[in-house]
Amino acid sequence: MEIIKGIFTGIGEFLISIPSSIGDTFSSANSAGDIYTTFARWIFIFLAFYILLKSIKSLLKSNNAAEVWAYLNTGPFINIPLKHWENVIGRAGSCDVQIDDMSVSRAHGTLTRDNDGIWKYMDLGSKNGAVLNGTRIEPNTEVEIRTGDSLVLGKAKCMLFPISIEERRNNIWHRTRDTVLVSPWASLIAITVFQVMTVIQLMIGLDKRYDQQITISYMGLCGLMWGYVIVLRSMKRKGFEMELIAFFLCTLSLAAVATRFPNQVFKQFIAICLGVGLFFFMCTWLRELPRTIKIKKIVYALAVVLFLINVIFGESRNGNNNWISIGSLTIQPSELVKLAFIWVGAASLDELFDKKNTLIFTGFSLFCFACLAAMGDLGTATIFFVTFLIISFLRSGDLTKIIVIAGVAGVAGMVALRFKGYALARILAWGHMWEPQYINAREGYQITRNMTASASGGFVGLGAGKGWLHELYASETDLVFGLITEEWGLIIAVLTVLAILTLSIFAYRSILNGRSTYYTIAACSAMSIFIFQTMLNVLGSLDLLPFMGVAFPFVSYGGTSMMASWGLLAFLKSADTRQNASFAVSLKDRGMGEEDRL
Amino acid sequence: MKNLERRGIICLLLAACLFIGICIYLYRFVTRAGDWVTYPYNSHIYNNGQVASGNIFDAGGNLLVGAKGGKIKWNGSENVRKATAHAVGDLQGNVVTGAETAFRDKLLGYNLITGTYSMNGKGKNITLSVNKDISETAYTALAGRKGLVGVYNYKTGEIICMVSTPTFDPKNMPKGKDIPDGTFVNKFLSGTMTPGSIFKLVTSAAAIENYKGIDSWSYNCSGTRTINGQEIKCTRPHGKVDFAGALASSCNCGFSELTEKVGAGKMKEYTEKLGLTKQYDIDGIKNARGSFKFPGYAPLSLAWAGIGQWKDQINPCSMLVYLSAVATDGRGTVPKVLHSAAGGGEKTEQMIEETTAKRLRDMMKNNITSEYGQGNFPGLDIYAKSGTAEVGTANSNAWFAGFIKNADYPYAFIVCVENGGFGSTVAGPVANTVMQKVISTEAAATN
Repeated sequence: MEIIKGIFTGIGEFLISIPSSIGDTFSSANSAGDIYTTFARWIFIFLAFYILLKSIKSLLKSNNAAEVWAYLNTGPFINIPLKHWENVIGRAGSCDVQIDDMSVSRAHGTLTRDNDGIWKYMDLGSKNGAVLNGTRIEPNTEVEIRTGDSLVLGKAKCMLFPISIEERRNNIWHRTRDTVLVSPWASLIAITVFQVMTVIQLMIGLDKRYDQQITISYMGLCGLMWGYVIVLRSMKRKGFEMELIAFFLCTLSLAAVATRFPNQVFKQFIAICLGVGLFFFMCTWLRELPRTIKIKKIVYALAVVLFLINVIFGESRNGNNNWISIGSLTIQPSELVKLAFIWVGAASLDELFDKKNTLIFTGFSLFCFACLAAMGDLGTATIFFVTFLIISFLRSGDLTKIIVIAGVAGVAGMVALRFKGYALARILAWGHMWEPQYINAREGYQITRNMTASASGGFVGLGAGKGWLHELYASETDLVFGLITEEWGLIIAVLTVLAILTLSIFAYRSILNGRSTYYTIAACSAMSIFIFQTMLNVLGSLDLLPFMGVAFPFVSYGGTSMMASWGLLAFLKSADTRQNASFAVSLKDRGMGEEDRL
Repeated sequence: MKNLERRGIICLLLAACLFIGICIYLYRFVTRAGDWVTYPYNSHIYNNGQVASGNIFDAGGNLLVGAKGGKIKWNGSENVRKATAHAVGDLQGNVVTGAETAFRDKLLGYNLITGTYSMNGKGKNITLSVNKDISETAYTALAGRKGLVGVYNYKTGEIICMVSTPTFDPKNMPKGKDIPDGTFVNKFLSGTMTPGSIFKLVTSAAAIENYKGIDSWSYNCSGTRTINGQEIKCTRPHGKVDFAGALASSCNCGFSELTEKVGAGKMKEYTEKLGLTKQYDIDGIKNARGSFKFPGYAPLSLAWAGIGQWKDQINPCSMLVYLSAVATDGRGTVPKVLHSAAGGGEKTEQMIEETTAKRLRDMMKNNITSEYGQGNFPGLDIYAKSGTAEVGTANSNAWFAGFIKNADYPYAFIVCVENGGFGSTVAGPVANTVMQKVISTEAAATN
């Protein structure tokens, strides 16, 4: 109650102060610039609300509607629709196709469809085996199944048959109806206005510090955004919510970099371009599952090489040995390895039943932890570890094992911390930053400044370029949430977090109708990284979690981190099965030629 | 695939953590951002680490401290500055409960919505509930002795006087190492001290409501009472006393027996029920919590605890709130340090029954007529209890606490003179001087 009262008094005081503050605006304003800021900071909020809420609403409103790929007849008048590309058949309630027959094992076999529409059955070593057209099927080998083939599982007779053209049209109709895709144009215009106003605001706010490359970068970003949407529209894709959210966050990112390093904005813009390029490439590649899985070995190799280079040639910054520089370019390989980690960690259904696959992934994870330990990068190590836990859980569903692993790692982590005095001091000071002994000490300095600057910004912010937090070390990366709050206001800052949350909730919902476990595991892992990174960045800088120095996805300054964010987004995009929404999902799987009419 | 659907919930849990974290931050932001902005390193507000902004007035509209053209202007009278030093506070933030510190964000004109944006050095005004003249009278009445005087309106809750000594002059801040202990502590709000016999008002309330034989109870006081081979002492043998007589003569022996009758559990319950261990939200300032121990297994300690000694530590402010419950219908009035025309008068939970309050009032009146002498309080319809707390020094702490009944001046008071000596003869006159000033101060009248 008290808070609500507080808010209302705040609003009341604000309303009362309007008349006098308008007077003040004109009397105390030294220039037209101040007057611009006074009004622009409100307009920014409305635009941000419009852009983000529109995308958020659209993402949450439309269902990832079910797709039916074929039917399996498991008895007289029992036709079970196959809603995924990968289905487990068995007696257990957790199977996608449940056959209530005692002769059928709990998980009897898998039925999978590939890109060309060919269905394959694989027996999982069931007790009573499976018989296809009279011949016994070897366990753990894939056998093609054609329409009308007789498949006997234990004593249950099954038969696969396709859906009729009629039905397929019907399905597409349903799916199209469930898919509410908002036209991107209005949001695009809103972002463009936002960008133009930001440039003007930065000119005012930065004054003499303003660098012409800020203008160029914003023009570039604007062009990139429009170009991307127009190209994809011409490819008949209509869902752009995720990309628009990402572009909006990138806009803020450029502004944050502009206040801290006006002469490095262009570098950040190039990073965005590279990110979008990577995103485009990954989406295209991820479209086809077999080739995605086929290059896992290459991805493994690349990741190992990257990490090894990092360990051997790495440069130390701030106690973390996680940088390598090539000429004037510095990159953080661990950011890119994150993508590889998901790429190899996600698994299709047959891989899930393959022990060797799990073993290799666990081995790779251990290698990653070892490298990160050698680099002394606590923040990234935590992210990798949590991602590893989540991927393992998604793959096995074994909660006890995960808890044991987490427990052991926790103890190991504590032991390791004893050797890193600085990190330990930070964790000990966590939650006590406002106590007199920490406020100005090494542990609390950044955080208390961050929070004071945030409070100075209030709900609406002081205007881009008008804060002082940018004078602080790491304000463009680890403290970026505070920087945004100070200059853009708490409302916009919180909206950015909500945007990340929405992406994630959308990823979760895509599980319900995912085609392959590969895509859903990948999407869920990518989402976990987004969430966890945001959590460490935001809550860490606010004394709610230990301060680890982790990047805010899409917003923090840093080329590799920007590219990694776009790469992660590609995993989310590949799970978006809404009708014609995602170019990471092939159009031809949609039933033949219907989309022209719909 | 179906398994995955269930396992995916773990990802949602992670998202929920982030969401909850943000909510906690928002809560903190709304409630604490005002404090965060006021740190001297915030260059949105401060130049060179000091800022003068806003004005603080007393309830009568007199300027206590203010800023004009970036310069600080203090009240002209040194005595007033010293008397209100703890209420107003200092610019360095030594007095944490002082208005300068506690209301700094308000004084600066900080607004949660627009942040520090509209701050242009004008600042805001706040009006405290303290009255500078009454405070000054209290300060002079203490006459250089250590102690405190608290007076508040038990109908509206406004604290019109909180003087704490040793004090300081905020205009000429004391420097060096010779600053006496407790100079920057507002003893009325932040102090906890041994209450001595004024605590018998608490034991009495517990006895009235829990000891059925209270009406027929009497005690024959021989001056000492032996518990487990050790003695409880009275100042003199009181002879045969009934309940009211025991309170009036402050008979330790009699009250030690009453404490036993009430029992350790009930005593503890009553210190909580009467709000003595509570922290009140006094316009955002928090008072210190009192602390008490009632060991059921150690009769001697329990007996001493029941008469306000042993480990009893009382906060003067919370005691005053309890007195307001006695003065009215058994519910206390939450104190306020900010003056408002509307009055206020937020009530606490029922502390004691209305009939208990009435009975305690009669007994406190009886204290005056039979012991302290109405003649010492001319013109005051006063109800009180004295206390002489032994604190291990040569002289005891003298307490005098109570209230007056007066339609225009419904005020409760608490006075403590440290190392002063006997309660009613040392602290009583201070209370009289202050309350005489209260009823002759027109600005203090309600309505």
